[in-house]
Amino acid sequence: MQAIGRKLFPYLAAILLLLAAYFAVAGERRAPADFTFVNGTEIKSIDPAISTGQPEGRIIRALFEGLVNWDPRDLSSTPGVAARWEMSEDSRRITFHLRDDALWSDGTPVTADDFVYSYRRLLDPLTAAQYAYQLYYVVGAEKYNRGQVAVGDRVEIERFDPPSGAPPHARGELLRGTLLEYAEAFVDDPAAGKTELSDDEQRERLRRRVRMYTIEIDGEARRFKTGVAAFRDEPEFDAYEPVKQVLVDFDTVGIRAPDDRTLIFELNNPAPYFVSLTGFYPLYPVHRETVERFGSPDWMRPENLVGNGPYRLEERAFRDYIRLAKSKTYWNAENVKLDVIDALAVESNVTALNMYENRQVDWTPVVPTVILPELKKQDRDDLRVAPYLTITYFRFNVTRSPLTDARVRRALSLAIDRPEIVDKIMRGGRTAATSFVPIGIEGYESPDCCQHDPEEARRLLAKAGFPGGKGMRKLTLLHNASEDAEKLCQAVQFQWHDTLGVEVELVRQEWGTYQEKVRNLEYDVAIAGWIGDYVDPNTFLDMFVTGGGNNNTGWSHAEFDAIIKERAPRERDPEKRLALMRQAEEILLAEMPVVPLYFPERNYLVRTYVKGLHNNILDVHPLHDLWIDEAERERQTAPRRKR
Amino acid sequence: MIAFLLRRFMWFVITVWAVQSLSFFLVRLAPGGPFTQERNVPLHVELAQRAKLNLDVPLYEQYFGYFGKLFRFDLGISDRQPDFTVNEIIAAGFPVSASLGVLALLFAVALGLAAGIVSAVCRGRGWDVSIMAAATLGIAVPSFVVASVVIILFVFVWPLFPAAGWGEPANLVLPAFCLGAPYAAYIARLSRTGMLEVLSQDYIRTAYAKGLSTRAVVLRHALRGALLPVFSFLGPAVAGILTGSLVIEKIFAIPGLGVHLLNAALQRDFTLMLGMVLVYTTVLYSMNTLVDLSYRILDPRVELT
Repeated sequence: MQAIGRKLFPYLAAILLLLAAYFAVAGERRAPADFTFVNGTEIKSIDPAISTGQPEGRIIRALFEGLVNWDPRDLSSTPGVAARWEMSEDSRRITFHLRDDALWSDGTPVTADDFVYSYRRLLDPLTAAQYAYQLYYVVGAEKYNRGQVAVGDRVEIERFDPPSGAPPHARGELLRGTLLEYAEAFVDDPAAGKTELSDDEQRERLRRRVRMYTIEIDGEARRFKTGVAAFRDEPEFDAYEPVKQVLVDFDTVGIRAPDDRTLIFELNNPAPYFVSLTGFYPLYPVHRETVERFGSPDWMRPENLVGNGPYRLEERAFRDYIRLAKSKTYWNAENVKLDVIDALAVESNVTALNMYENRQVDWTPVVPTVILPELKKQDRDDLRVAPYLTITYFRFNVTRSPLTDARVRRALSLAIDRPEIVDKIMRGGRTAATSFVPIGIEGYESPDCCQHDPEEARRLLAKAGFPGGKGMRKLTLLHNASEDAEKLCQAVQFQWHDTLGVEVELVRQEWGTYQEKVRNLEYDVAIAGWIGDYVDPNTFLDMFVTGGGNNNTGWSHAEFDAIIKERAPRERDPEKRLALMRQAEEILLAEMPVVPLYFPERNYLVRTYVKGLHNNILDVHPLHDLWIDEAERERQTAPRRKR
Repeated sequence: MIAFLLRRFMWFVITVWAVQSLSFFLVRLAPGGPFTQERNVPLHVELAQRAKLNLDVPLYEQYFGYFGKLFRFDLGISDRQPDFTVNEIIAAGFPVSASLGVLALLFAVALGLAAGIVSAVCRGRGWDVSIMAAATLGIAVPSFVVASVVIILFVFVWPLFPAAGWGEPANLVLPAFCLGAPYAAYIARLSRTGMLEVLSQDYIRTAYAKGLSTRAVVLRHALRGALLPVFSFLGPAVAGILTGSLVIEKIFAIPGLGVHLLNAALQRDFTLMLGMVLVYTTVLYSMNTLVDLSYRILDPRVELT
């Protein structure tokens, strides 16, 4: 037996290897698409409610459609599912009128109820949607999303299981009533005997929270509790019925559908950009029936997904490609030119560039910045440069000495030679920052800042008590270990030392740790970046209100808060509102809890035969607007074919 | 033999349990979590996300929950890629990495063995020196450099192959070459050493004395002995090569598994990371067992214990 085995072994091994090799190269090839582009890293999800990135946006915009679309030329709102809309006198109520011919890909009409369902889903705390706050302009939405209730509120109680007869992934059975009493308890409270809690302790405490509700339902007082099972089920809470969650009644939230074709929003304050916001992809609708029938993630599989966008999901191969095919049910299908589109998942920008240069793809949305100067030298007509609503900056931890002193912060900013960093160190692809809010928002003029003035910098630092950097402790500069961040930080380290005599130590941390440190204010100076969510200075300024979720500098300024939170939202006149914004930015730049460094540009390569791709500051390029000049494509590819 | 396999399997189960438990707790000790985002999320959203990923229940409950599902081969939904289950991600990536790996291996073994044998037979001569120089270079030069060079040569200068991508046989050639090159170099060195050792044995002299040609001596008598060190190298090497290479997969945009082992850890994708550790443990363990078996087949004196 063993002898036979020994004789056969080499042959067996060879056959096995050959078989494996055959399987490796066998397999069907897919037909080429009309348009192929690089879509960056594999998208996180195609569920509009939980997606956040650019690559996700490109796919979701193809599969679904919101109330309005953004014109790629100027980002103005054009009719989407809504054919028209109007604002009330006091501009706090917006009424959308849906078009009759908007259909889901299964042929059923898109109704106002679909939007109510989708927005409730986005606001549901259990969805844990990062972009839920985009709906906070709507009356009651924030309260619903945060799960806040007050005695006297009308509330909805969600039980664990869906009502009988409902699809398996529908919400739990709902009871409605009025809140009579509310109490909360913390099991083994970590806060007991403490006055101040760290973030982690706060999290741990909330995890141990049991919330108890007494609710009047049809004249009868009933008791319910919510919380993590292990804590909720302690014997002391036995008198209460466990339920999934208790929220304010969604009927009290200002989103209503009086009929199939009308959708009304009641806003807390006049928000001039709310109409445009409904064109942001997290606010796109999802198909209730499939979501509730299949649940996540099965409802998003190509065979199950029902969308209302210009394309449908034909195939999805993880980290490989997504194939989109034109939808026949889309109301504007006659104006959708491309039939089949392939979105390739390519992580490396350099690989993407190789594929573009090798004519495997028609568009690559991000060009590696190291190669940019070289490409610019070639003077090619397929390289596009577009301003982008984003900034790279430094945060100062203003709770740590000597950064508590605004003079020190200003001195550090004045000592940075931004044009040199942009041109010589980073070698293009960016514009030196002249303000915190990036250039390009129509009607908004930022205050000027960020000159390079070594004299003034030294003077300020001396005034703050550190002449020539003497007596100043060594600062740490935290960055997130990306190549660009490292280069930038080294340049600034050198400039600060050279101009001010300030010693800086670079601290490199991988992403997760970096974020923890920034969030917990465990740094002196930290690199940061921000991309605007919508075209308004507010998206850059409101993160620095006291205690804002993305503030992370410890900075707090009463007047700044008042403008951002109170005065600007109340201002009806758009021009005056922008003037207030400018005032807020002036405060920010005078106080300098942040140092603007540069505005990254968007650089991309797209074949000249691809038409309908326009530059705009949100870098949004809806696929359904694209078309291909076949004659030009023929001309460009012909010489290569001959070879 | 069956007893051997059974014993091995028992140890396999224990190994998997130990490695999984260790990884389970280690990933949870690292700062951050799957809900850490580029932007700071408000506390209530973060808590909801924690709850969604079942990370808010006590640790022991998470632990038993995880192992309960593991027994049913259900690795759960990926924490960071919620559109896919970990089983799906592995099922999508493993065949890709394995296909590429097998080709790379085929190439590495064929080239490496041939080079090693030629080198040993021509010991000290020009062939030997140049092959060993090439092998040293192959080991020393990192794969991204090799990849860059072959891309410049065979994609742009002489356009034979696509720059990157997956789905066609032509897509396999360059990455398989880059992936296999360092292994080929190792195998060449190992088989040369093994061969030299065997060639100095008495039975080889006997074979020559019988009047056999060099070719017959080398291929029939010496080769088998020379294979042993190569095989012990191949076990772990195959495990590495089959589970994919981060660098090669990134450069050639190949949807394999190699990226996950590192990325899942960096992004704190707990479920995917544990899944990847499981795959790696399984492949490594099976390969080592196979190698032990093949020793027995190649050299009857080896006892299986």
